[in-house]
Parts: sequence; structure tokens; C-alpha cells
Amino acid sequence: MITAKTALRRQNKVQRIDRVGKLARGKFVSPDKVPEILRRIIEPGDILCLEGDNQKQADFLANQLATLDKKDLRDIHLVMSCITLPAHIDLFRKGMIKQVDFCYAGPQSTAVADLVKAKKFPVGAIHTYNELYARYYIDLTPRVALIAAAKADRKGNLFLAANTEETPAIVEPTAFSDGIVFAQVNEIVDKLPRIDIPADQVDLVVQAPYPMHLQALFTRDPAAITDVQVLMAMVALRGIYEKYEVQSLNHGVGFNTAAIELLLPTYGERLGLKGKICKYWMVNPLPTMIPAIESGWVESVFAVGGEVGMERYTAARSDVFFTGRDGSFHSNRAMGQLAGHYAIDMFIGASLQIDINGNSSTVSKNRITGFGGAPNMGCQPTGRRHPTRAWLKAGAEANPGPGSPPGRKLVVQMVETFQAGRVPTFVEELDATDASIRKALHGVTPVMIYGDDVTHVVTEEGIANLAACRSVAERQAAIRAVAGYTPVGLKRKKRETEDLRARGIVQLPEDVGVRPSEASRSLLATQDIKGLVRWSNGLYDPPSQFVDW
Amino acid sequence: MSGVLFHEQTARQRIAALADPGSFVELLPPPERITSPYLAQLGIPVSFDDGIVIGHAKIGGKKVYLAAQVGQFVGGAVGEIHGAKLTGLFKAAARDKTPCILLVESGGVRLHEGSAGEIAIAETMRAIFECRALKVPTIAVIATDIGAYGGIGILSTCCDYRVMTEHGRLGISGPIVIEKWMGKKAYNSADRALVWKTSGGKTKYLLGDADALVHDAPEAVRDAIAKFIGKSRAVSLGSVKARQKELEKRLKKFGTTNDPNAVWKGMGVRNVEAASLASGPEFAALAKRGK
Amino acid sequence: MEKFAKAFPSKPLPSKAAKPWALAGVVGSGNLEVLLERGSRPTNMMECHVETSIPGYKASWLAALSDFAHHYPAGGTKITINDQGASPVLVNLRLRQAYDHLTKGEK
Repeated sequence: MITAKTALRRQNKVQRIDRVGKLARGKFVSPDKVPEILRRIIEPGDILCLEGDNQKQADFLANQLATLDKKDLRDIHLVMSCITLPAHIDLFRKGMIKQVDFCYAGPQSTAVADLVKAKKFPVGAIHTYNELYARYYIDLTPRVALIAAAKADRKGNLFLAANTEETPAIVEPTAFSDGIVFAQVNEIVDKLPRIDIPADQVDLVVQAPYPMHLQALFTRDPAAITDVQVLMAMVALRGIYEKYEVQSLNHGVGFNTAAIELLLPTYGERLGLKGKICKYWMVNPLPTMIPAIESGWVESVFAVGGEVGMERYTAARSDVFFTGRDGSFHSNRAMGQLAGHYAIDMFIGASLQIDINGNSSTVSKNRITGFGGAPNMGCQPTGRRHPTRAWLKAGAEANPGPGSPPGRKLVVQMVETFQAGRVPTFVEELDATDASIRKALHGVTPVMIYGDDVTHVVTEEGIANLAACRSVAERQAAIRAVAGYTPVGLKRKKRETEDLRARGIVQLPEDVGVRPSEASRSLLATQDIKGLVRWSNGLYDPPSQFVDW
Repeated sequence: MSGVLFHEQTARQRIAALADPGSFVELLPPPERITSPYLAQLGIPVSFDDGIVIGHAKIGGKKVYLAAQVGQFVGGAVGEIHGAKLTGLFKAAARDKTPCILLVESGGVRLHEGSAGEIAIAETMRAIFECRALKVPTIAVIATDIGAYGGIGILSTCCDYRVMTEHGRLGISGPIVIEKWMGKKAYNSADRALVWKTSGGKTKYLLGDADALVHDAPEAVRDAIAKFIGKSRAVSLGSVKARQKELEKRLKKFGTTNDPNAVWKGMGVRNVEAASLASGPEFAALAKRGK
Repeated sequence: MEKFAKAFPSKPLPSKAAKPWALAGVVGSGNLEVLLERGSRPTNMMECHVETSIPGYKASWLAALSDFAHHYPAGGTKITINDQGASPVLVNLRLRQAYDHLTKGEK
């Protein structure tokens, strides 16, 4: 007896495409027809993927979708990594969404918090990037995916340019499960520089009347780096990079790590660390890395996305960056996150709040930001088997038991003890433990990096080596010891701190050979954006808001 | 490419970097605690030096009077104490026939003590002209984005010589004031490239308002100062008339343009893009500087 | 504005300090200046005077100054601070800088 029905999904796809009928010419549609086409190809109950990456946005398609309302489209299960645009928020206000699964809501974090309070934001879960992409292949496979590409050719092949980001991770599960892939492009041309997505996997294409929105997220002006950040960077370089001989790594996007990048060709060179540390990177093409690259520190950089203004520079440095046959930059968020999970010695990033157990979060009742990719990298990959020097050294220090891996990834939180406006970074309890947030997330507290995964906390006060702590009480004392003059820090006991310091679990700047009075911006390879342009030999084209010449 | 940048240093660091080692003697130093009584009354934090460090030192073995304004303290603005220190220093320079150097970083008069500031600036100008009449060199160094504006902009142009870097700005009204008067269309103060192309050191050098354009490094500033401390420029009816002619010519040539690049091109800069990135003498080499 | 003064026990300053006084930092938004002077009495106390534009943080000021007096031999010095809202982080850095200038004669 045959019970399985066959190829129903494929038949359904054919029906949907048939409904489009003459509204399209082949795969190509004109912009004014888009709302009607969306109405015809999306069905109630669909899992709909709307491409909103960390940087690039299918904003034209999102805006057209937001012109519809509940009578056109309802009961949509929205899956998307980044809720970024006002149009995304409109879909919820109009009540079209029955469930949303996402990763990050940076620019819309306040709007999302308001929607949660108004019970108009039915969250399935907040994910990390690779976790959500993985679910596209398991139980959240899109029926329709609305994506963004730089260019299409006449057959519908797509070119993604520098910002490939997560497009392949959306297209593959959709296209190979009889879903519909609808792409907005900036331009339709006869010949593409290179093919990133084959036409075979693309059903509909529209040339958007305006180029897709692209956020410049990773440009940090060296002029805004403070002496305190330089101090922390020096401490991290000596106490962690040098100590563990960190060769492969990821950097966050903050000013702390920008300071480290700019110290490599100066302070790092003086310490004789060139060639010993920081050779292999999983990081976006950060402009502040230009001096280190030009000084020969960096062997390779793989990226999850591009960065505005770095196009000519990355193309000219194809020995360092991954580039296509056309010579231009290539990125891939899913593969980059995978690399960041398994193949690096160290993840180092910042956070808004860290509790006394080392858990961190950026979520509060009034700001639901989510995770993005940091937890994919800022965690211990227990599936890892290959050794590196840093991994083994950190593992030995953590004194692994008979049932745990011999190595450890270095997971470092680098924060100033206070945020802007004298808000303490260190707290007894995270704002994210708020009952209403936990209720909206089905009992889950949105923790960015778990304390158990963190090996080190670096502040301007010094380093706390959490991996070397032997008890929960000890870990809490170590965190208080570097929490400065926050309420958490003021509770430290002098004797406990002295004891931890004697055992090397807490290290002050002096203990790692850094004199705080030496910490000065003048140590940076350059102090401004213009300096970065000069280091790049004119190949870096900074966005206009950074230009004063 | 690394090294200490002049514009990033504090006033005291600048003085230490310019003076012969150990030669600087500060007058009215912080332990004397001569601070502004007005700011204290208004509940605004005071500073031990009231935003200006003054004293004497040697540069290349030659005695000079030296002052450095502290731009971070109320924008380097001139109040009563600050102003009295400034006036006194130039008067001492005239009395002792010793060159006087001012490291400028000021938006002009301090609003909280405006009258005292205005009077002090006027008295300092008088002292500067006294120096010039006596052939005692006076030099203004303008090398930070706070620059020289308002009364201090005028005062800077009263000195014999101006040394600038690409970071320095010189004017009377600041960009926001100009925008308020002329409208955003005519002058967008948020357009940083426009602001520097109109009031920045490179343009001022091209137009002859700055006498030297140097790298943003203490050694470069010191070398330029060393060249000027042996010279002076007399003020005479003839020199003022000649200057007036130059300004008339400039107005005729550029008075109707609203493109700062046109001014650069008009002053002989062929490759504007390369010149934008060039610094100090390299910039000067790319331009055929005219008058 | 908030103003307070307190003295903290501290080991005596090494007798061969390079300068009679040292100044670190400038008064500006989020910044402060620290004036550190020798020759105060008694020689086993560090005397502190703070004037800050942001009231309400006396406890963390006193904790920072007390820690400094504990970590560095600064007895017989007088510290005077003009503050315009600096973070405790920066307070610490400026104290250390002023101390280094005083004891090692650096700028």
C-alpha cells in the first residue's frame, strides 16, 4: 500500500508560478507588478524567508511586501536573520505574521521590544546565524525566499559582489525543496563578472528602481579610539595573544579590537610578535586592518560580508583576501561562521552587560537586539579534534577532566567596566533575565556568550582567567577583581584579589609587562581615517561621512 | 608612518616637544591655582592653568616666550585669567625683545566672561603690534581642528608668521555660524571636506594666509618655528596697502566660485585628488603657490 | 558640582622623586586633570581633594583613590582633581600617569 503522496510540493510550485502568468516575461518582472506577484506566489501558512543580512537588505522586495496587508497575506511564518528595516516592522504591525524566527534586530531593537510588549511579535526563537541557516535545511525550509543580488544576466544567473553574505544559505534549501526564489537586483546585464548563484536556482528576477541598502558596519574611525582602549589592547596583546601564540582569530567590530589591529605594526612589532601571532583571520575587511596587512602580518582573511569602500583595496590584495575569477572580493556568512566556530584559536568581542558568572547579553526589556553570529564563534566547539598550540595551551590551563577535550578555544570578552553615561558593564544579574522577556522566548534567557564558554575577561583593570578558576566562587571573585568601580567590583575583597593575583588568575597590567602610563594613542599605526587611506596607497575609499579632505 | 602627531598632543606635551630639553620654565604653573572665578560661580569645572600654559624656553639655543592654549578646556576660549596670561606674555616679549610663539587652539572669547576676554584679546593685539614695531618676531602655530576662530583668528593674523598643518583651521566665523548666515545650501557645516577645503591649513597656505605648511609632527613644527624666530615683518602703510591689493585680486579671481576645488586649481594645484592626500611640504610641492 | 576631601594611608613616596609636582590630563568633557604635589604632611598619608561636575559618585571616587594609595607609595603627596565627568577608568589612568611623571620625570 502506498501512503506517501509524491511531488505535491513540486505541483504546488508549478501552480504558484502559473498564477504569476503574464505578469512576468520569463523570469523577469517589472517593479510595479511586484506587489501583485507577491500576493500570488505566497500562500497562508508559508514559511517565507526575507533576505535581511547583517549588511545587505532585499529592501525593495521588503518595501513591496509591506504595501500588502492582512487580506492579501496572512499567517506567514517569517524566517530572516536580521530585522533591520521599518518595512520589516510594518509586517508585524499589520498582523500578517503568525511566527518569526530570527537572529538579530540591531537597528530595530527598540521597535521589536515595543511589538513584544504589545504581543504583536510572536517569536519562535532568537537564533545564532548558523543555527538558523541549519534549520532552513531541517524544519524551517522556506517555501518562498525573497533575496538581493548585485546583478543578474539575461538567464537569471546572479552576481553577489562583495556582499555574498547569506544568500547561498537561503537559496540552496529553498531551490532544492521546490520553493520559489525571487531576487531583486541592482542591474541586469549581458555578461556577469562571475556567477555566484546559477540561474537554475532562481525563479523570478526584478531590477529594483534603487540599489539595495547596504550598511557600512565595520568602519571604525581611529580618531575615536581612546587611551584607555589602547591600554586594554596592550594588555590583551601581551596577556593573551603573546602568551598563547594566537595564530587564527576573529575580531568583533568594536573600538577595543580596532585598537589591537592598529597596534600590531607598532607595539606588536616592537614585541617581536610579527609572524608569531594574528596570521589567519575570519573577519570582515576591516579598514583598521590595512596597516597590519601592509606591514606583512596577515596571511589570509576570510569574511562573512564586505565593507563599503574596501572594494579596490581587497581586489588589489588578493593574496590575503578571497576573491573571485573576476578579481573582486568574495564573502560567505555561513561558511565564515563555520570557520569561526571550528578553525580559529580565539574569538574576542565586547558586550553591553556581563554578570558575575561571566554570562553576557545585549538584550533588555526595552531593547531586544538578539545574537547575530557572535555565539557561533564565542563558544567551545566540542566537535573540534585538530590541535593548535594555542588550543592545547589553553586546554592544559583549564585542567581538563578525563571526559573533556584536551584543548580549549580562547573565548575572550574585552570590555570597559563602564559603558557610555556611566552605565556599569558588570552586573549581578543580566537585564535579559527579565520575566517578560523569558516568557516571550518560551523560558529561554537570551544569553549571548555563556560564562562557561568564556576563558578570559579583559578590562582596563586587567585580565581574569576564568578557565583557570576551580570553582564558581573563584570565578565570581575573579570577575569582581577586574570589574573596577562598578557595584560588582566594589564588592571584591582585597585578600581574595591578592590571592588570585598570586596564582596568576587575575593579572594587572603591570603583571603582563604593560605600564599604564605608556598607553597612548600615539602608539597606533595611524590616528585617523586619512592615515588608513595613506597606508592603503589610496586604494581605500572611505564613506563620505568619514572624509575631511 | 607612526610617531607622535602634534595635533594629538596636549598643550604641555607640545611645549615639551618644541622646547630644548629641560629648558621650559612655566609662569603661573598649576600649583599656584590661579583659576577662573566666573566659571566656579557658574558651577563649571575650572582648570589650574585656565586653559593656557605660558612660560619661556629655548628653541635651538635661542630664548623664546611660549604659550599653548588647551583646546579641550572650554574650547580654548579666552577668559579673564587666560587672557591676562596671554597679554602679559606678549608684553614681556616686547619688553625683553624676545620672540614670542603662540600655539593656538581657540574658538575665541569665552562667553561666560565675554567682556574680559574681548578686552584681553584687544590688549594682546596691541602687544603683538608693539613687538612687530620693535622687530620682535611673533609666530602663531595653528595645527588642530579647533583651530583659530573669532578674536583669536584675528589675533593670529596679526602675528608676523603663521605655521599651519593640514589639521589646522583658520577663520573668523566658524562653519556653523557661516551656515546659519548663508544657509545650508551655500555652506553645509556637516560637509567636513568642504569645511577643510575652505578654512583648512592647505587652502590657507595656498592663499598666502599661512607662511608655512608642515607635517603634523612636533619636529616639523619646531623646524618651521626655528626658521622664523630670526626674522620679522615690518608693518608699514606700504605693506598694508600691498596686502589690500592682494586681497582685491583674490576676490576678483575667486569671488564668484562656490567650488573650493576651483580655488585650489586656480592656485596651481593640478591633481586635486593627490593633493588632498598629500601633507605638508609634499602638498606644497604639488602646488604652484601664488599670491 | 560636588566637592570633597579625604586622606588615605599610603607608604611614603620614594625620596628621590624627580619633580616637585606633576599634572596629568586636561579638563574637558569626560576628562579630568590630576595635580600631584610633594611635600604634604604627614608622610604616611595621601591627601586628596576632588571637585567634580557630576555629583553622586563619591563612593567610587573614594574607592579608586583608596586603591591607588594602597598600590602605590604616595604618602606625603597631595592630589587635587578637577573633573568634568571622567569615568573611573580614566581617573585611574590619570593618577598613574601623574605618579609616573612625578617619580620618573616623564612628560
